[in-house]
Amino acid sequence: MSELAIRRGAAPALAVERLTYGYPQAAVPALNDVSLTLAPGEFALLAGRSASGKSTLLKAACGLVPHFHGGEVEGAVAVAGLAALLVGPGELAAAVGYVAQDPETQVVSTTVAAELELPLELRGDGPADRARAVEEVALALAIPHLLGRAVDTLSGGELQRVALAAALVTRPRLVLLDEPTSQLDPVAGDELIWLLRRLNEEWGVAVLLAEHRLERCLAAADRVVAMAAGRIGFDGSPAEFLGWAQAADPALETPAARLFSLAGLEPLPVGVRAARRALDAAGLGAASGVEDVGGAVPITPVPHPGKAAAAEIHPPAENIFSARGLWVELERDEEMVDVLRGIDLAVARGERVALMGRNGAGKSTLLRAAAGLLDPAAGKVETAAGIALLTQSPGDYLVRERVADELPGPTGAAALAAVGLEHAADADPRDLSGGERQRLALAIALAGRFDGERLPGLVALDEPTRGMDRGRKDDLVGLICRLVGGGAGVLVATHDVEFAAAFASRVVLLGDGVVIADGPAAEVLSGGWYFATEVARVLDLPGVVTPEQGAAALLDRGRPFPPHTEERTTTRGEAGR
Amino acid sequence: MRSPFAYTPRNRPLQAASPGAAVAYLGALLVVVFLYSSPLVLLAAGVAAVLAGLLAGARRAVRVSLRMGLGLALLIVVVNALVVNRGETVLARLGEWPLLGQVDVTLESVVAGAVIGLRALVALVAFAVYSACVDPDRVLRALRPLAGRSALTATLVSRLVPVAAADAARLHDAAALRGPGAAAVGKAALARRLLAGSLDRSVDVAATLELRGYSLEAPRARQQRRRSRYDRRFYLVGAAVLLAAIVGKVAGADEFQSYPTIEVGLAAPTLAVAALVAASGLAPLRRRSRHRARPAAKRSGQRRAPALEAGGV
Repeated sequence: MSELAIRRGAAPALAVERLTYGYPQAAVPALNDVSLTLAPGEFALLAGRSASGKSTLLKAACGLVPHFHGGEVEGAVAVAGLAALLVGPGELAAAVGYVAQDPETQVVSTTVAAELELPLELRGDGPADRARAVEEVALALAIPHLLGRAVDTLSGGELQRVALAAALVTRPRLVLLDEPTSQLDPVAGDELIWLLRRLNEEWGVAVLLAEHRLERCLAAADRVVAMAAGRIGFDGSPAEFLGWAQAADPALETPAARLFSLAGLEPLPVGVRAARRALDAAGLGAASGVEDVGGAVPITPVPHPGKAAAAEIHPPAENIFSARGLWVELERDEEMVDVLRGIDLAVARGERVALMGRNGAGKSTLLRAAAGLLDPAAGKVETAAGIALLTQSPGDYLVRERVADELPGPTGAAALAAVGLEHAADADPRDLSGGERQRLALAIALAGRFDGERLPGLVALDEPTRGMDRGRKDDLVGLICRLVGGGAGVLVATHDVEFAAAFASRVVLLGDGVVIADGPAAEVLSGGWYFATEVARVLDLPGVVTPEQGAAALLDRGRPFPPHTEERTTTRGEAGR
Repeated sequence: MRSPFAYTPRNRPLQAASPGAAVAYLGALLVVVFLYSSPLVLLAAGVAAVLAGLLAGARRAVRVSLRMGLGLALLIVVVNALVVNRGETVLARLGEWPLLGQVDVTLESVVAGAVIGLRALVALVAFAVYSACVDPDRVLRALRPLAGRSALTATLVSRLVPVAAADAARLHDAAALRGPGAAAVGKAALARRLLAGSLDRSVDVAATLELRGYSLEAPRARQQRRRSRYDRRFYLVGAAVLLAAIVGKVAGADEFQSYPTIEVGLAAPTLAVAALVAASGLAPLRRRSRHRARPAAKRSGQRRAPALEAGGV
């Protein structure tokens, strides 16, 4: 089919017919009798739990499956009229753009401008066409200032935008995205989703977006396709999807929908605006007299960098981690930059603290400084009873081919038991599920730090929920509660506000290397626009962040609601397990 | 942390020049380095390479390459002094050594080692400047029509090197974060893990190249070289250095002898070649536009110095 025909939209953007596919040497097929048609200009959300076949379907739509990965395939896939099972990904590149989860391996050039120009050059466009296309896509994605930058100096969010720009620069009719917001903070994630919506509306690009955080993108989608065990379990409108999820797989419900279903309200809302309107119509909106149910829990005053003593934050006797006047500088573009600027922070035994903030705010740097991987430029870090840090890539901890070889002897067995993996001692780490591999990595970091049954130190996790579905997040909440029950304090750097609301008793918000908010989770996560849960944005009630709290507030209008206490979070975590 | 030798885009003449012009210029310095043994000319080539790097903004690449090159040069001097027994001026008699036999350290062998070390040092600095200032993408694209498969391999390697470096740093951190009760991780285990991870990474990068259409045969007629206004300058300087080096060699500008006694020629041809080679280091000098300075001077309300007004910058 000619490029002109592709652009005019003579054929569906994507037509999948009875597709069954199995990876080489896989016992069960990853896709099983999948049929799906995406019209030109449609915005579809691909939902489903981990390993349900979402990524494989996206790879089949861009030609990587089966051309690149091999395996056995039956059925047919057509992208803008091109038979994807017959032509390779190179030929499909004119019609489809693909953005994968990890942006680091999606750039192949040294500079941003070269990266954007590459697909155009490879298909033989002239210099003038290339220059115009690069300029336009850079403007559309608000990255003209990055064009002259080297790709290895970009942040994760910037890199993700560049990868998206490289996928769009050929003006494809279909763009496929595999969890593009998993590494982005709430601000950048929301921006990316609405950018996609704008491109979809203005350029008529069809979008197929796989995501776990459905609350982030459901309102932007025209249609939802939910996958389960390699098959399509649901295909319909976002509103219908919520009804299906409520009955068939509650783990796929959005927090706002869960709020409504717990409160017995119908219809289930697609996004914050729909929820607010529905509540207003029912006389339950913010202006309708639902009282402030959070109680007067004060936010801890944040001392000015370097001026207040850390003792003002927590009594030193309880602290298992403290940073006093902590400055850390790192080299960026041949210059030393202050990444942390006079941080005063303490974590007490038994606390569950979420460390939040936008990309580049200094969260990972703070954890790395706490673990001794970075030397402070000024100030002091103390971890009196030790620290176990799990970094963003748990796979980096796994270097042997047998679990027991990683964790030998009684100390290893104790660490495995602490994370619930005692049954897997003889397994190959590569045969474990993603969640089990993460727990094994945590056990490796914890090994030898126990005092009998107790774990006296700080457990720090850096972005542990990347690419996780809600079931696995609930498992992680349960594990965190168990560790805290064993005497540890837990500090988790995360972008995931819903996860933070589920596990944290306290939230510390970093901004540009400085603590800008520090208080009870229910207070901090209900007091903003971006760093607020969906329920908090719907109800706008101080202290109400989870669907359970929100439903109780709606049901018990006027009756004081207990604040987000330790017991409530623990109960939820246990239930998650 | 980025490698000091990683290419950094800058608005400087050497970075703006086409790969051919930059290679012609830096390559001419390398030719001098490998053609000449005269310490004076080698030193001049070193000055030129350092100047070129500094003027192109690659200060860190120059600094690190100088440090590495000095270490390498010192090693060469020591090895040469111990291995070569030629020369008449004996500095030390170190007796019989296993494998080496009688070891006499002579002034001539030390100087000869220093000249070889200087050659290695200058070559290293020139390569460092090339690496930090010449866009590898443009080099690979220039090569692609000539050698497609080699360009693909080079593209994969050029992308995988920084990715593997980042992976290695992360693996090292993870090894340091293992609990005291976990099995220790040796360098061999880390290297195995890095290799396995690199294979996975290379598959991902190859998939991205495939998606960008790297396997397509691009129509050559529509490819066009991007030129720079600095190209002619670098081609001219490179040609001048090359010509001077060849003419100078023929005219006896490379007068240097280490054995049996040291003889360094300082005749006019040698001095002339050295001066020209050293001056070639100014080629990446950026000429500032005089038009931009005027409004600033007007805004500040200050009179500019006469020398500046005369266009001396």
